Amino acid sequence: MKKKPSCLALPAAITIAVTLAASSAIAQTVDTARIEAAGQNDWLTYHGSYKSHHYSPLAQVNTTNVGNLGVAWMHIPGKSTRGVQSMPLVADGVLYYTGSYSRTFALNGATGEVIWSYFPELDEVLVARQTHSPYNRGVALGEGKVYVGTVDGRLIALDAKTGKVAWDTKLVDSQKLTVGFTGAPLYAKGTVIIGSQGGEWPGRGPIFGVDAATGKKKWEFLTVAGTEEAMKTWGGDSWRTGGGGGWMPGTYDSETNTILWGTANPAPLYDWSGPDYKTQGARPGDNLYTTSVIGLDIDTGKLKFYHQELPHDAWDFDSSVGEFVMLERDGQKLVVHPNKGGFIFVYDRNLGVKNVWRLVQNINFVKDIDPKTGALIGRRDFPVGKVTDPPLCPFIGGGISWNAGSYSPKTGLYYKIGQEWCMTLDIQKTTPVTTPQAQLNIGADFKMAPPPGGEIYGHLDARDPVTGAKKWEIRYPEPPLGSVLSTAGNLVFVPDSRGTIHAYDAETGTELWNHNNGTGHQGGIVSYSVGGKQYIAVTAGFGGMLADEYAPNFGGVYKSMPRDDGALIVFSLK
Amino acid sequence: MELGVLKLHLKKIALLMGASLACAVAVQAQPASPAPDNGAFEVEQVFAGTCGFCHSDGGRAAGKGPQLMNSPRDDDFLRNRIKLGKQGAMPAFDGAFTDPQIDQMIKYIRALKPREG
Repeated sequence: MKKKPSCLALPAAITIAVTLAASSAIAQTVDTARIEAAGQNDWLTYHGSYKSHHYSPLAQVNTTNVGNLGVAWMHIPGKSTRGVQSMPLVADGVLYYTGSYSRTFALNGATGEVIWSYFPELDEVLVARQTHSPYNRGVALGEGKVYVGTVDGRLIALDAKTGKVAWDTKLVDSQKLTVGFTGAPLYAKGTVIIGSQGGEWPGRGPIFGVDAATGKKKWEFLTVAGTEEAMKTWGGDSWRTGGGGGWMPGTYDSETNTILWGTANPAPLYDWSGPDYKTQGARPGDNLYTTSVIGLDIDTGKLKFYHQELPHDAWDFDSSVGEFVMLERDGQKLVVHPNKGGFIFVYDRNLGVKNVWRLVQNINFVKDIDPKTGALIGRRDFPVGKVTDPPLCPFIGGGISWNAGSYSPKTGLYYKIGQEWCMTLDIQKTTPVTTPQAQLNIGADFKMAPPPGGEIYGHLDARDPVTGAKKWEIRYPEPPLGSVLSTAGNLVFVPDSRGTIHAYDAETGTELWNHNNGTGHQGGIVSYSVGGKQYIAVTAGFGGMLADEYAPNFGGVYKSMPRDDGALIVFSLK
Repeated sequence: MELGVLKLHLKKIALLMGASLACAVAVQAQPASPAPDNGAFEVEQVFAGTCGFCHSDGGRAAGKGPQLMNSPRDDDFLRNRIKLGKQGAMPAFDGAFTDPQIDQMIKYIRALKPREG
């Protein structure tokens, strides 16, 4: 190949800074203490604060006036291949969010005026070879910078005021593995943490800690066989291509100086071992630390503690999904973490199991999970052949998807979306994959199916986060895929798949307001305040690994719904 | 900002955007990863391992991708789509699979029948 020398002298991306049009808000440094404090006007990290409540203490918009909510402004990011999936962040009146291809925007939170935008130049040949691409799920803020990952394996820091590149660090050999970063990073204590895609790709699923000031890699933890103990849980050479990863952001516990992170599934997704999975199949053993929650020392990346939610996950019900909700109950400090299989795990701060409850009705990959120990009871491990009677429940999309639920300290309730659907399978005996390859490693043909004796649907539950006791439930004909927001105005917002955003009374579930955004939702929703006015910002735009299943399976509005479009829509009181 | 200065900035931006596109074209000439070497090519396994993630029930039903059984598309179309993909919908497998392997996949697709029972 003949390279044009002029390219070498060009900047790696186009940054358009319109400084004179910038917000009048005065930017202050975002640091660990500020994220921990979670001031009510801001939304400083993916999960709202390190407590992962996805809750806004703002109450200007409330049950009495939500009917007057209307669109304040909109922003169109463009080039929204597979929709807009990110969680906006807000600091000092400036809203930061991303679209597909990690296109990053800083907007005036009151008016939507563009302060700056940054479009990284990506390896387009690589992007064309990727399956889980080119969407992006958000940024992290800290030390005057905005941090964003890319699908070609880079973590980039931008100056929060200008959008200019501060550093650009290549972390994953994406050419070899065809995976990179789609999840938002986490900033804490001078470190930016980001987990790579993995799961069904034959690699070892690293999670990285990077110096926030310099971009230098501080540590790397391999979620596949990352310790000697873990190496023993992979038969033969299966550890070389075990998948894993941690593609959604976890959180930081300052009391223990620990990063809590959820890890992805092992590869191949569907193993043909049958019940003898400890010694037979494509990856004999428990496959540590896949489908686990792990605690890493933030300074060194060393493993401190873990719990493997599903030993030898043979169903793709990983632990990457979901938030780490921190709360206190009866003097105990607890962490609540949803698993894709449809169960909610309750841990102490060292990830010791305190309780397990089920959010989803249609679960049959196990009979149950012991609420005292977390041990799986009556697991279904499939040999080669068809799985149809009964089908496997839930569907590969999970009983719980990756977007966030919300915990309201005011009502004490956890608002979370559950998904009721199943799948038929035809498990294949795969040839061992011993070297990383540029292909998925699934291990079965499959198809979405209704639950035995019922229909597919989704539901928003209002539950006690520790016991799982249900206060109320709202049903939807197709599972909503976006995040949930609760506020001190006693409201719960749910952006659904058909394109309607709903506001419910947080105590009763009564619908108080809705608005059609014109396309499906599958991203974040936040609330913030600028100049004494409360705003609610939601991303709209459908498409991607789960949303793409909606048109063939549900028809209707999904048949004509674009999968390369989207917007950020911001509401306030009229 | 004065109008003249603003025009100059816009001109610079336009130049940068044009140059960026030129670079993107240059990048496309990069060689793809070599084909995997993991033993014999069992097309049913490969389909279940890779293609079946989007083409449901082994290609018999629509999923994230379209149904392939009884596809009205000709072999050349299928070959090109497997090799080059479709932006935002299907990955390009040129480099991941060899031409003879892609031919086997097309044969597999043409032989698809509804499942019994």
